[in-house]
Amino acid sequence: MFVLPPPPRYPISQTTSSPNGGTVQNPVVEMSNILTHPSGPEYQLSVGEGTYFLQDNLHLATPPPHPQDGPIINPNPLATTPAPPKAGIKLSICITSPRKSLLPLYRQAAPSTGSNLGTYSIKEHEKESRSSHDTSSDGATPHFPSSSTSGRTPIFGEDNSALTPLAGKEGVKRKKPKTNLVKSNSQFISRVIPHDQLSKRLQDHNAEGIFVFANIDRAYQWLDLSSPAPARAQPLMKILFAKAHMLCHDINPFTKGPAHIDVIMGASTGDIVWFEAYSQKYVRINKNNIISSSAISEIRWLPGSENLFLASHMDGTLIVYDKERDDAAFVPETNPTPTTAHIPNGTDSDPHPLHINKSVNSKNQKSNPVASWKISNHRILAFAFSPDSRHLAVVSEDGSLRIINYLKEQLTDLYTSYYGAFTCVTFSPDGKYVLTGGQDDLVSIWSIVERRIVARCPGHHSWVTAVAFDPWRCDNRNYRFGSVGEDRRLLLWDFNVGMLRRPKAASIRNRDRASISSYAPVSRNRTESTQVPGGRLRSTSSLSNEGADDDELIEHEVESRTMTATLPPVMSKVIDEHPLSWVGFEEECVVTACGEGHVRVWRRPVDVVGAGEG
Amino acid sequence: MASFFNRMRSSAGTSSPSSGSSPTKKDPNALQITPLEKYLLDAPPGPLREDGSDKFWGLENFGNTCYCNSILQCLYYSVPFREQVINYPKRTPLESVTTTSTGQSRIDPNAIILPPNHPSLTPARLMKQQSQGPNSARTAGGPPAAPKPEDKEHPDYKKRVAQARGPTISMTYDNTAAYGMPESLFTSLKDIFEALLAHKSNVGVVSPNKFLEVLKRENEMFRSAMHQDAHEFLNLLLNEVVANVEVHSKKLVVEEEEKQKGMNGSADKTGFEQALASAMPKAVPGNTGWVHELFEGTLTSETKCLTCENVSQRDEAFLDLSVDLDEHSSVTACLRKFSEEEMLCERNKFHCDRCGGLQEAEKRMKIKRLPKILALHLKRFKYTEDLQRLQKLFHRVVYPYHLRLFNTTDDAEDPDRMYELYAVVVHIGGGPYHGHYISIVKTQNRGWLLFDDEMVEPVDKSYVQNFFGDRPGLACAYVLFYQETTLEVVKREQDAESLAAAAKAAGEASKEPVGLGLKTNGFMNGIQHVKSAVSPTTPTTEETNGYASLDKALSEPSPIAEPIPQSPNEVTALPQIPTSGMPNEEVKSKKERAKEEKERKAIARLSARQEEKAEKERRKNLEIKRKEMVKKVDEDTKAAIEASKASKVEEDHKVAFENGTKEDPKEGHVEPLGGLSRFKPTSKSFRKPRIFSREAGKEEPVADADEDVASPTGHETAEKPEKYKHRFSSLRKKGSNMKLL
Repeated sequence: MFVLPPPPRYPISQTTSSPNGGTVQNPVVEMSNILTHPSGPEYQLSVGEGTYFLQDNLHLATPPPHPQDGPIINPNPLATTPAPPKAGIKLSICITSPRKSLLPLYRQAAPSTGSNLGTYSIKEHEKESRSSHDTSSDGATPHFPSSSTSGRTPIFGEDNSALTPLAGKEGVKRKKPKTNLVKSNSQFISRVIPHDQLSKRLQDHNAEGIFVFANIDRAYQWLDLSSPAPARAQPLMKILFAKAHMLCHDINPFTKGPAHIDVIMGASTGDIVWFEAYSQKYVRINKNNIISSSAISEIRWLPGSENLFLASHMDGTLIVYDKERDDAAFVPETNPTPTTAHIPNGTDSDPHPLHINKSVNSKNQKSNPVASWKISNHRILAFAFSPDSRHLAVVSEDGSLRIINYLKEQLTDLYTSYYGAFTCVTFSPDGKYVLTGGQDDLVSIWSIVERRIVARCPGHHSWVTAVAFDPWRCDNRNYRFGSVGEDRRLLLWDFNVGMLRRPKAASIRNRDRASISSYAPVSRNRTESTQVPGGRLRSTSSLSNEGADDDELIEHEVESRTMTATLPPVMSKVIDEHPLSWVGFEEECVVTACGEGHVRVWRRPVDVVGAGEG
Repeated sequence: MASFFNRMRSSAGTSSPSSGSSPTKKDPNALQITPLEKYLLDAPPGPLREDGSDKFWGLENFGNTCYCNSILQCLYYSVPFREQVINYPKRTPLESVTTTSTGQSRIDPNAIILPPNHPSLTPARLMKQQSQGPNSARTAGGPPAAPKPEDKEHPDYKKRVAQARGPTISMTYDNTAAYGMPESLFTSLKDIFEALLAHKSNVGVVSPNKFLEVLKRENEMFRSAMHQDAHEFLNLLLNEVVANVEVHSKKLVVEEEEKQKGMNGSADKTGFEQALASAMPKAVPGNTGWVHELFEGTLTSETKCLTCENVSQRDEAFLDLSVDLDEHSSVTACLRKFSEEEMLCERNKFHCDRCGGLQEAEKRMKIKRLPKILALHLKRFKYTEDLQRLQKLFHRVVYPYHLRLFNTTDDAEDPDRMYELYAVVVHIGGGPYHGHYISIVKTQNRGWLLFDDEMVEPVDKSYVQNFFGDRPGLACAYVLFYQETTLEVVKREQDAESLAAAAKAAGEASKEPVGLGLKTNGFMNGIQHVKSAVSPTTPTTEETNGYASLDKALSEPSPIAEPIPQSPNEVTALPQIPTSGMPNEEVKSKKERAKEEKERKAIARLSARQEEKAEKERRKNLEIKRKEMVKKVDEDTKAAIEASKASKVEEDHKVAFENGTKEDPKEGHVEPLGGLSRFKPTSKSFRKPRIFSREAGKEEPVADADEDVASPTGHETAEKPEKYKHRFSSLRKKGSNMKLL
């Protein structure tokens, strides 16, 4: 045995950067972004359709800590003070031009094989046709329209006359926030750094080009990924907040245009900022935590709404805000008892109902919040809206996936992870499937129509942090999606319902599997009714029309590993040195982001053959 | 007890200045609003729960014994383990725990309060002693550049406070007579557990003197005062407990037999052996197998010879799993990797019985029987060829609160079994030869607690996931304890948790508009403010003058502790006042108060030291006597063990012979000869010591001669419980031998 001098038990900071493979590093203080173009086989992704090349590696500068915070010289590893919640970099991508014929050809070429498969009209989403004045499309991603037998999708809160005057201002010039960001002397904002030639760069911006909004630490950057190379690295605008860290943000696809981008941001302090990029003006919502003091984990504009957005607070509430309404101290309007209508008969009192603290139908709509729902006391980590603008998928730290019909404010399904928390969720472009990623290292595929788990996808070596569909490579039966995780890997998956690999034990009875996954007798009847031939393929909207069925809450049991189909990835590669936090698919590229500030743009294969050099 | 309430209370975020002033440690009624108090009211009548689940005691550090403290805490809060330790062979009545055979009281629930004006102490000295704390020998790891105004968040400070507050139990005695067992690690463990149960206080500090004494006496590798490996200790302890319990149960059976034979005369040798043979199967159920039942699982290694395609299976028992780590991976992935297929080729070929000779083969390890308690050892200490020594890996390895195992065999029972994380042993430090261990443990009803030697502190659930390995501070999870649970239990717990959280949130909302960051130990904060107000006046130059002994007294077992006699109102009232914004007057009065308090504490310490000396003398004498006794007992046990071993060997031969038709006895030796297991990704715990030889000696084709000891029983699929004794104990010996190399 060696005898070494007694070393420090609580190390000093110098040792933290010691030779530990760069895992324990002092944060890099870099003031400006760095753009590099590394090439080589490790920067290529080989998939069936060709090779993706790394086009841009943009390292966003992590801002130094706010002067008031001061540097931590000697981190006490055992300090028990809970740290404020942090999130890796998330991106909001915006292409301002309206999309003309977004739908790739192959999708039309894909034959609708089953007769029970409603043929999709290539018509854009309903709201497109509705608002002819609107120059913007409904988003950077094409939507499969839910076969619109039911006509237009109802709008959230449309039955409430108290909401209409504000919600339905169409044709009027877009409203801007009030406060000028640059001139603001708010203590909330530490500094705003617009680019020197901001107006010139904006003029030069190609309408087809990609704007990216990114949060990193206490900074928020607006980037133009389509501008020429040296300038591309530098943000059009950088906002430094004093204490708040933006954890999530979203761009309103409904209101965006050549001179208007509505961004909504949610902060670790619970604050919300509505920011209009072109005018550089902003408004704070939930100021001084008047409505909720809990950090915001996810924030999204309500589909098709100009003003309303939904924020998930970490105390387990979902709150709908109006960007133009004033805040007021909020007291739950309804009685705290659960809405018993959602409890499936036969089971004892349900511990997981949807508490409506304030209904969207409340007549008191003078101020925010518009609606508030408590779904649990566990942290909500992410949520996603269905493309048909009816459903909401919410995942939380306790490993639950909830499907909520938010138009009716009803919880319809409650699923549980194999184990561990769910960290991310997304809907398939046609709204039939939901993807979740979680701390069980799995991506799970859930069928909204059949209300069951479809498959679990092992392949990650650590927790999954983000999942996204690639709408340009999805058709009626085949789906491409990607996932990234703490293992620094990007995984691509091709999912085809018919091609799922069943475990041996389950192969005989896989058609009945839904009945295994739900234990309430009520739900079994329900499942059987869905199991009529072709029922599996019913479209979402027809499901939503069966109102009565939807009202039941089904609590789904966790399905055994031996009973669930698994899906292997088509591509798995370590693409960054740091745990990844975001992935998104654009028409020409795949974008990833890691927790340390690396935004990477992967160009899609140019041609089928001879896709050439890096 | 009350002080703990204070902590818990403030940790629940309800300690606003106004509420903080009313409840005191002597006035538990004032705490009724807190969740903790509410829980106590719901609990079965009586001040304390019988099962010891509401005892939150720190363990004294005797200089680098944190490896022991951290593991002991994890084991104590493993409910089934604690219950078994306490109830085997039978539970001792409380009275006999609290008093010695001579009627002397062992535990003084009401610690002696020193006269506040002890002559030998002056305030100035107290201050010196105070400021000297972080530099004392025990706490050498404190940041060298520790700021003069003492950091109240510093663990060393908190430890001293814990020690000073007491009560303390010095585990210098043993109760082996009551158990009818010779002194062993098991009995000293049982002593500690029972003493905790017997004590009236919820909180305090235990000094595991005896336990360490036995440990060091019987295990050379733990004898030095150096930093030790917590996982090795866990493994040794479990194996010891197995051995001790089995020896005892065999003894019991023998005694029984002898009683029955009674008049037949002396217990002749054959009778003895017969008794052993017949007793073994009987002795197991119910009692002796409990460590196995809790911690043991079965691994199946499937080896497929690539020449003849013959698949051979071999089962091995494990008490914990050691998994290799990858950069940026999860525990799930590590376990998957553990079971990945592995090629046995080149120097590591497999000796195939079918083809006869060394062949290339594919091998994979899967879990066939899932343990109730899954102890996962993350192999953070890896041998690096360049440096010729172990190095710590700071890979980020994430661990979820719940776990299921993917690497089970197809025929495994309950392959979807759910596990929940209930304890984490964290290693802090840059390398394997030094550092510090702490543990974070989930208690049955009080959430997660941080155990850092003497200090116990409630922590947020999210705190548990601070030790993935990538954060500054060099603290990494090292051993993870997962226990069996079900989804229903988990859901129920989550609901309860969320209710509590809601209640807490409500409380916070009403009292503290900004709840963020105030969940820290409010009580400690109070102390901090007191200290920080005083410390600037500390004469720093004198601090090294001859008062080191004062600190030393702290680290010695001190039977006397002083519940701070001062009205705690002041202390608890302080926390919420920010230091910076404190009005001057208040500072002054606080200074005075703090001085007084310090004085008292220091007096307590000093007299503790004096008392200590006397104690030591007395103990020495006792010790000598006791050692003689122990020697005798030990000899007896040894004889018994020898006898049992002899019979065991015979039996093994028999078994092997009987199995001969089905299974070539040679197969058992195939592995070691072929060196098959050398490149196994696994290091099941009892193999752990072999890491040294294995990785160091990669080039040697036959490095595992020691495995011969293990394998004769290892290859049998249906292992009889009595064989464990042989294997584990022999392996343990091997382990310690290896250490000496």
